[in-house]
Amino acid sequence: MTADEIRAYLEPRRHEFADPRSLVMPALKYAQTTRGHLSREDLDAVAEATGFTPSFVESVASFYDRLYTQPVGNRVVSVCITLSCMLRGSDEVWDHLCEKEGIDHHHGGTSADGRITIQEAQCLGYCDKAPCIQVDADETLGPFTPDSAAALVDELRAAPDPEEYWR
Amino acid sequence: MPIMNNVYRQRAAEKPLVTLDDYRAAGGYTALPKALADVEPDDLQYVFMRSGLRGRGGAGFPMGKKASFLPKDSKKAKYVVCNADESEPGTFKDRDIMAFNPFQLLEGITLAGYAIGAERGYIYIRGEYEHQARVLDDAVRQARAAGLLGEGILKSTLNFDITVYRGAGAYICGEETALLESLEGKRGQPRLKPPFPAVAGLYQSPTLINNVETLAALPPIVENGADWYAALGPEKSPGSKVFSISGHVMRPGNYEIVLGETTLRELIFVHAGGLRPGRRVKAVWVGGSSVPVLGEGHLDTPLDYESIQAAGSALGSGGCIVMDDSGCIVRASLRLATFYRHESCGKCSPCREGTTWLEKLLMRMIAGEARMEDLEMMETLFGRISGKTLCPLAEGAVAPIKSALNMFRDDFVRVVENGSPRPEPMMAGA
Ligand SMILES: Cc1cc2nc3c(=O)[nH]c(=O)nc-3n(C[C@H](O)[C@H](O)[C@H](O)COP(=O)(O)O)c2cc1C
Ligand code: SF4
Ligand code: FES
Repeated sequence: MTADEIRAYLEPRRHEFADPRSLVMPALKYAQTTRGHLSREDLDAVAEATGFTPSFVESVASFYDRLYTQPVGNRVVSVCITLSCMLRGSDEVWDHLCEKEGIDHHHGGTSADGRITIQEAQCLGYCDKAPCIQVDADETLGPFTPDSAAALVDELRAAPDPEEYWR
Repeated sequence: MPIMNNVYRQRAAEKPLVTLDDYRAAGGYTALPKALADVEPDDLQYVFMRSGLRGRGGAGFPMGKKASFLPKDSKKAKYVVCNADESEPGTFKDRDIMAFNPFQLLEGITLAGYAIGAERGYIYIRGEYEHQARVLDDAVRQARAAGLLGEGILKSTLNFDITVYRGAGAYICGEETALLESLEGKRGQPRLKPPFPAVAGLYQSPTLINNVETLAALPPIVENGADWYAALGPEKSPGSKVFSISGHVMRPGNYEIVLGETTLRELIFVHAGGLRPGRRVKAVWVGGSSVPVLGEGHLDTPLDYESIQAAGSALGSGGCIVMDDSGCIVRASLRLATFYRHESCGKCSPCREGTTWLEKLLMRMIAGEARMEDLEMMETLFGRISGKTLCPLAEGAVAPIKSALNMFRDDFVRVVENGSPRPEPMMAGA
């Protein structure tokens, strides 16, 4: 994304903050919406649009789980593995998805075709729907069985990509 | 039910109140006009104080008292910050208040802003709640169009507006000073206190920070009076509270109860539909995961701050996680250790390394690779973490695990000897 596009996005929001540094996070989240992750160019564009140094911008981006500084799949599937979800079968869902997508059980990762990233998530705030899954930043869904979770991934693989990647 | 609070207003209407008209039809936006017409800001703070409302985000600090800590004579801008980071394991109440009753939260924040003399409020919402953030954005637009936010609200002299600010996935940003750092566009790492946010908060200005549920309780309090609220429940824990309940229960969900009137047993067995047939309660983390665990012997504890504390735990966020006797307490403790290890911001080494070690020790135990000395080592580790860190996250990691080791020592010993295979989970439809 270009610095001008980011500036245009930030402009109507600028007056809401006494310090322009507060614009860095909205800028990063927005810059991520074209590629689904933040490339070197995206980070530089955010730096230029907000007036902070690239190294500062990068240090902010690296702090947050949902800002990706490395490429990820077209869809990011977050499987909650925290306590309430564990009690309701999230480990079984996780194992099944990793196996199905040929992804390492310990760390998660991206399928060989680059379409799907499976990652562990900490409590998503949908423990009443445990075990639950969030795709990108869409509303979290659940409860899943290993099979229904696999069906969700198949659907995602077949569906067109979203126009913007809000993650 | 004498409550017209939080989620009940939504239930009364039986549909989400996401349009201004629907919120008004359910009795919304009567408190704000009343306050603007009849109540001076200082008196409004006094209303909050007399209601006895305590913070619903975890610590339970009296809301009106916190508002009174903001300096009256400061020339700096003042801010209200609504903590909607809701990332405490087991907690999902703010989610529903925002999705189903967004205007009640906006009205509450506006009342707080008027009371302390602020011109802007921020809702810091966890990035994973993008859906709720959009509901709030839309509600803010509607409220602005109707003159309920912006300049000269309801033709008064009050100028106040609200910004919805999205986080990006970090539990620590729920801690109030980390939240402020994040809202200032930085890495979300806690600040040293003092100064407290009331004096030097957002942009070093006086800032009132409260949880979603706390702020959403203000409109009914102003509408019905502080005495009405104070008369609900016990003297020190008045009012109603939403409990999120999950884990091995038949009907997980959000249930609003009057504090002190319902026991833990009733929450589990009446509201949440109890357990699967033949199962017994093994462990309950009653106030989110950062509190000492309770057992079957505590089920008759009334749900209010004092009673839960007397039972050895804390009401916390009201995120109640239930595990039945099919679960393994060591595995559950490990899962929590992993959570805190993952969410530690890394600023203090007792927290960063302590949580890593806790996780390692517990992993060894469930794999059947531990020795008895590891239990003592874990106890030593608690002492090395407790009280030696910048923020309470580390304490939150110690509390559930230390209490589990005390209460269920036999289980730990057994797991050290034999390991612990993964038990059958309670699956969907079971
Ligand atoms: C690690 C940590 C995480 C926290 N997470 C939240 C949270 O998600 N939401 C919240 O309202 N308070 C959270 N708190 C408590 C806040 O620091 C603060 O006490 C609260 O927002 C004050 O609002 P209240 O008085 O209305 O409860 C957290 C505290 C700690 C130490
Ligand atoms: S206690 Fe942990 S989370 Fe809190 S500031 Fe220290 S390292 Fe960060
Ligand atoms: S534990 Fe999975 S959503 Fe809360």
